[in-house]
Amino acid sequence: MIPELGFLSLTIAMALCILLCIYPLWGAHTGNLRLMRAAPALAMGQFVFVLLSYLALVYTSLHDDFTVAYVANNSSSVLPWYYKITSTWGNHEGAMLVWVLIQAFWTVLVAMLSKSLPWLLRARVLGVLGFLGVGFMSYTLLLSSPFESLLPYFPVEGRDLNPLLQDPGMIIHPPLLYMGYVGLSVSFSFAIAALLTGKLDNTWAKWSRPWTMAAWAFLTLGITIGSWWAYAELGWGGWWFWDPVENASLMPWLVATALIHSLSATEKRGVFKSWTVLLAIAAFSLSLLGTFIVRSGIIVSVHAFATDPARGSFILAFLLVVVGGSLLLYALRVAEVKSEGRYQLFSREVALWLNNIFLVVATLIVLLGTLLPLVHKELGLGSISIGTPFFNQMFSILLVPFACLLALGPMLRWKQNKIKLVFNKYALSWLISVIVSSAWLFSSYEEVKVMTLVAVMFAVWIAVTSIIDIGQKVSESSSISRGLKKLGLSYWAMILGHIGFAFVIAGVALTSAYSVDRSVKMNPGDIASLNEYDYRFDGVKSIEGKNFTGHAGIVTVLKENQFVVELYAEKRLYTIGKQFMTEAAIDDGFTRDLYLALGEQFDNGAWSLRIYHKPFVRWMWLGGIIIALGGFLILFDKRYRRRQAPQTTGNKGVMA
Amino acid sequence: MNRKLLFLTPLAIFLLLSIFLFKGLFSDPRVLQSGRIGQTMPEFALPDLMQPDKQWRNTDLLGDVYLLNVWGTWCPTCVAELGYLTELRKQGIKIVGLYFEQGYDADFGDQFSLPDLQIEVSEMLARAGNPYAFNMLDLNRTVLLDLGVSGAPETFLVDSKGTILLHHTGDINSRVWRAKFAPVIAELSP
Repeated sequence: MIPELGFLSLTIAMALCILLCIYPLWGAHTGNLRLMRAAPALAMGQFVFVLLSYLALVYTSLHDDFTVAYVANNSSSVLPWYYKITSTWGNHEGAMLVWVLIQAFWTVLVAMLSKSLPWLLRARVLGVLGFLGVGFMSYTLLLSSPFESLLPYFPVEGRDLNPLLQDPGMIIHPPLLYMGYVGLSVSFSFAIAALLTGKLDNTWAKWSRPWTMAAWAFLTLGITIGSWWAYAELGWGGWWFWDPVENASLMPWLVATALIHSLSATEKRGVFKSWTVLLAIAAFSLSLLGTFIVRSGIIVSVHAFATDPARGSFILAFLLVVVGGSLLLYALRVAEVKSEGRYQLFSREVALWLNNIFLVVATLIVLLGTLLPLVHKELGLGSISIGTPFFNQMFSILLVPFACLLALGPMLRWKQNKIKLVFNKYALSWLISVIVSSAWLFSSYEEVKVMTLVAVMFAVWIAVTSIIDIGQKVSESSSISRGLKKLGLSYWAMILGHIGFAFVIAGVALTSAYSVDRSVKMNPGDIASLNEYDYRFDGVKSIEGKNFTGHAGIVTVLKENQFVVELYAEKRLYTIGKQFMTEAAIDDGFTRDLYLALGEQFDNGAWSLRIYHKPFVRWMWLGGIIIALGGFLILFDKRYRRRQAPQTTGNKGVMA
Repeated sequence: MNRKLLFLTPLAIFLLLSIFLFKGLFSDPRVLQSGRIGQTMPEFALPDLMQPDKQWRNTDLLGDVYLLNVWGTWCPTCVAELGYLTELRKQGIKIVGLYFEQGYDADFGDQFSLPDLQIEVSEMLARAGNPYAFNMLDLNRTVLLDLGVSGAPETFLVDSKGTILLHHTGDINSRVWRAKFAPVIAELSP
């Protein structure tokens, strides 16, 4: 009964969503305010019914209703309750429903928070969001419903949730990622609405910016947590594989990063308008393309996803309508737009413009690396593989000019700068960072590779320029506290974003260069050493979870004979699927992670263990979190919360 | 007019891309991986994983029908299929392992210890079953790249003349074996 109600709710939501797509867009086209005014209520109604539908799936999962195919395939009666809830996004069909729910949530948020927008724009934004909602919802209803029934023949027990997904990281990773992907549809809708309205002015950029920032911050968090999950749960100590599925999330992130920078130029200086609109379209298009890549099985990935040409065709058709349609609209409308601002070669505008170039080039590299095997094959040139070294090399080449720019950019002012003034700061910070990073690396490590030193130098440089810049801005004020107060939240968002990025660069460089590991065969009481740590193997104990059994290797870690930590490296057998899983034991630290994976047992009672020492690995995720915090900070900027004064809600305003 | 054309470029690029996406959708993703079907095994000389003094050449393998199985201890699916592959070995199928060391990339100064890997592999095979006649180690991934391998597990069926008959991506289980491999092998030995 409940699953049927869930399906029915989704159908009702779909009907409301169709109206949400038609009424406001038609109303805006004909100038009919009554039709436009229906939009917020329809958005609310759609959200409520999607939520009901989702709650029905949660209820079904919690009550072990294995007559529902999705629950039977992705849950079991012995699964802990919180994983029963997260199993609702553990596989394709449920994940689509969560996607639709998040889409409805963003739509209703926009409807509630856009009261001060002119009706023409507001209606069009909501109409476009409605259109996207129809696309995703019809896909879910027609091709991937999580409410498919197995009646009359259904299993008494479910197949359990994939053990890889039974991890806290996996509880929050997909929803965060979807908040990001789907959130980009809001900036997309603002761009399309602005193109339809024909008014690509600062208002549009100003409205679009906080929404884009929020989506981008969620995407940043989602990617960060995804990487951390891979590290903690896959047991191989790695954090990024350049897999098509990972690339699918990186591409919209790179373009969205370009977008938030170019939006700030458009908002403050009225420049790059047509470019910014294109980025807004591209960012969401790439998240659709990513969905297509992941869900169609068009590219073989190490992540296992169901492949289905019918699903692929639908998404491709949707992609053609949405992306093709919006690019056509773009081509027709944007030629009339002229940028207003004037600026000189040495200015923040140019720095932002270059930043965009680098980010777009980075995106193209990822896109090329991901799709080239496909294109190559379809051109009849045979199969090729593009592996990690290609991406690593391309990105290390791009990093150098990009980091230079990143350190320089914040020091520059809009329009024009005196080269000499900036040069002094630049030279000073450069000197400091060369000294600090060389001192750091050469004193800590016997061997220092050029690339590692360069990367750390840039990381330090970015941090130093940020601090110098804050110092200078504060010193221009009469007192420090007044100076700090004057710096707006947007400024702090930028600083956090850049410092977070510095942490990521340093973390990646150091952990890539100085991670070491060794495999050892140990009897209880044996001690193995790696770097300055000694690992004493204290034997193995049995463990028993709700849906797994297994062993935990107990390892005491010592440093100079002082106790550091006791670690349990687990090997679990998930009883239903008969899958073995390695639960790595991690002692995390600011400057290093100790990472242990339990291997096999030998006949004589000895065990094999793999010990990893990973310096500064945590800085990557710390950096990601700092970047995301910066993104969220801007939401509290007063400039974006102040209501616009004159409302043009009257009929006259609309008709004009 | 020029300006209009400029703004049409994104659309043109997207449409071009869609053609490939559309074509890709209807070419079987397995076939996508199988650009090597019908070709002969690339020439190679690889060390034996357990006895690195011994080199295996592609010519050493001629004369037998065999499965070339790309695998690694880091890959859970590979470990999962060891059991079924061992059964196949008992039925007289010759299986040669091509070990894919994922964590090593000389260009990035990664560390690699052969003795550690040997211990790890022998434990794994002792526990999960050993289907392999022998294992070759392709540390620099040249053969892996020549074969168009994109991950693990992947398996090639090669005939006695060294021609690649099948390229399968993903694990081999009884269903895959019956549907894909058995018919081809049946044709070989009438």
